[in-house]
Amino acid sequence: MRDAFFRALARLGAADERVWALTGDLGVGLFEPFEAAAPGRYLNVGIAEQTLVGVAAGLAYAGKVPFAYSIAPFVTSRAHDQVRVDVACAGANVKLVGVGSGVSYGTLGPTHHAIDDLALTRVLPGMTVLAPGDPAEAERAAHAAAVHEGPVYLRLGKNGEPALLPPDVDFRIGRALELRGGPDVTIACTGTALREATAAVDLLAQEGVDATLLHFGTVKPFDAEALIAAAARTGAVVTVEEHSTVAGFGSAAAEVLAESGAGAVLRRVGLPDTFAHAVGSRDYLVDRYGLSGPAVADAARGLLERSPACPTT
Amino acid sequence: MSTSAELRLEADAARRIVLEAALASGSCHIGSSLSIVDILTVLYQRTLRAGEGDRFLLSKGHAASALYAVLARAGVLGEGDVIAGYCRDGGTYAGHPERHVPGVELTAGSLGHGVAVALGRALADRADGRDARTFCLVGDGELDEGSVWEAVALAGHLAPPGLRLIVDANGFQGLGRVGEVLSLEPLGEKFRAFGWVVSEVDGHSHAALACALGAPARRPVAIVARTVKGHGVPALEGEFMSHYRSFRPHERAILFAGLDRIEEAA
Ligand SMILES: Cc1ncc(C[n+]2csc(CCOP(=O)(O)OP(=O)(O)O)c2C)c(N)n1
Ligand SMILES: [Mg+2]
Repeated sequence: MRDAFFRALARLGAADERVWALTGDLGVGLFEPFEAAAPGRYLNVGIAEQTLVGVAAGLAYAGKVPFAYSIAPFVTSRAHDQVRVDVACAGANVKLVGVGSGVSYGTLGPTHHAIDDLALTRVLPGMTVLAPGDPAEAERAAHAAAVHEGPVYLRLGKNGEPALLPPDVDFRIGRALELRGGPDVTIACTGTALREATAAVDLLAQEGVDATLLHFGTVKPFDAEALIAAAARTGAVVTVEEHSTVAGFGSAAAEVLAESGAGAVLRRVGLPDTFAHAVGSRDYLVDRYGLSGPAVADAARGLLERSPACPTT
Repeated sequence: MSTSAELRLEADAARRIVLEAALASGSCHIGSSLSIVDILTVLYQRTLRAGEGDRFLLSKGHAASALYAVLARAGVLGEGDVIAGYCRDGGTYAGHPERHVPGVELTAGSLGHGVAVALGRALADRADGRDARTFCLVGDGELDEGSVWEAVALAGHLAPPGLRLIVDANGFQGLGRVGEVLSLEPLGEKFRAFGWVVSEVDGHSHAALACALGAPARRPVAIVARTVKGHGVPALEGEFMSHYRSFRPHERAILFAGLDRIEEAA
C-alpha cells in the first residue's frame, strides 16, 4: 500500500506544480521518484511532527497542495493540535498521510500502532478521512485526496497487503463499495481490515451463510445510505476495523444505525479498548486481539443467532 | 581483573545479546542500539546507585534491545529470555520499551518524550528530599523535537540537582546525517545557553564515560556523547543503513565479525 501511494505521489508531483511532499524524517528510499519528478518540492522537516503539520498548513495557505507524511500516530496524535487548529479549523488544503494503520507495525509496539487515528481525525469538523483497503485503492485514494479541496487524512497500511479489489477500482470519496450482496448478514469494514472481512465472508459462505460485504474506503464523510440499506436488508451488521472499537469506524456505524430506525443488531470488531501490549507481528496481533477472519465470522454467527430477521429454532 | 577490562567484557557481553536478539528476530535498529551499549554498560555497572534510587530513562526507545541487554547483564532480566522474547510472536520484549517490563522506567518509541518525564522525576526527588539522580538518554535526531527543548528550557530554569541528560550524538537520524537534515551544532553551547552544565565525551571510552556520568553537580548536566552508530560491527559502523538493515541467520558471521575479532586478540 505504501509503495502504491508513493507511485501516485510522484505522478501527482509531476502533473501539478502545487503538489509538495513533506516528511517527518521517515520514508527511506521512497521519496526519490517524487524528488525527481518535482524538484524543489520535497522537504524533510526532521523529527518534528508539529512543525511538519504547521509548515504544511503554511504552504497550503500559499496555494500549495502539501502531502505531510509520517507514521500514523505521529501525524495524527503527536501533532493533533496543529491538525486541529492549523489544518481542520482553518480549512487548510493539507493532505495528512499516516503509514502503518492499526497494528501493522507489529513488534514495534503500542507507540507505533494506530488504534486511535480514525477517532482523532473523524471527530474534527471538515476533515475527510480515507482508509483504502488494498494497494490499488490506496493509489486512487491519493489521487482523490489531491483533487479534493480541503483537509484530508489518508490512512495507509504498511506494505505487502494483498490485492483484494479490482485494479481499476472506482474510488470515490464518501462512497462505500458493495463487494457482495448476500441477504443473511452485513460485514462492513474499512481500511486494512478488508482482508479479515473478506476472509470472514468466505468462511461464512462455506457454511451456507450468504453475507453482504461493504467496504468503506472513506470513513468520513460516512456513506450512511449504503450502511442503512444493507442493515435493513440483512438485519445484522458486523463492523470490522484495525482500530480501537471506541470512536472509530464501528462507532460511526453505530451512530448512523442508532438514528436510522433500521432496527438491525450490531457487533463491532476491532481492538477491544486496549493497547496491543502483546508482542508480535501484525497477523499475530490481529489474531490475538480478536480481529482475525475467523473471529469476524464468529461475531457474525453470534448475531445470526440473535438477529430478529432470523428466528432461533 | 582491572576495572577497565571488566567493563570491556561487560560491554561485549551486552553487545552479544543485542546481536543475538537482532538475529533471532530479524529486526532492525541495530545501529541505534550499538551506539549506546558502552554508555549503558558504564551507567548500569558503575554509575547508578540503586540504594539512592538512581534511575535511567531511555527516550530513544528504538534502541530498546540495548536496554534489555544491559538489564540482563545487571541480572534484572534473563539473557535467554531477552534473546528469545525480543520482537517475536508471543514474545515479552517489544521493539520499544514499556514500563510494565522490569527495569524499564519509561514507555518510549514516540521520540521526544523522555526529557520532560525525567525532569518530573527529578523535581519529585527534590520535593521529597531524595538525593537520587535521574539519567535520560536521547538521540541526536530526537533533538529535532520541540518537546525536548521545552523541557530543556524548563529544567535549566527550575534546576533540579539530580537531572542528567545524555545525548547519543552518532551523527545519523532517519533519513540521513544529522548535520544535513537539521544541524543543531554546537550542541554544548545550546545546553549552556539554557543554564545546563555541559560535558562532551567519547561515547565509547568507558573511563571518560564513568567520569562524566558520575561527576558531581548541583544542577542539570548534559553529557554529549560522541558515538559511532553501529559500533562494534564493522559492516554497520558509521553506516546510515545500520538503522534499517536486518540480518538472517546465514549472515551471522557479518554481525559477529567485530566481537569475534576482539576475542581472538585477547
Ligand atoms: C515522534 C517520532 N517520530 C518519528 C519516529 C520514527 N523514528 C524512529 S528512529 C528515528 C531516527 C532517530 O534518530 P536519532 O534520534 O538520532 O537516533 P539513532 O537511531 O541515531 O540512534 C525516527 C525518525 C519516532 N519513533 N517517533
Ligand atoms: Mg542519531
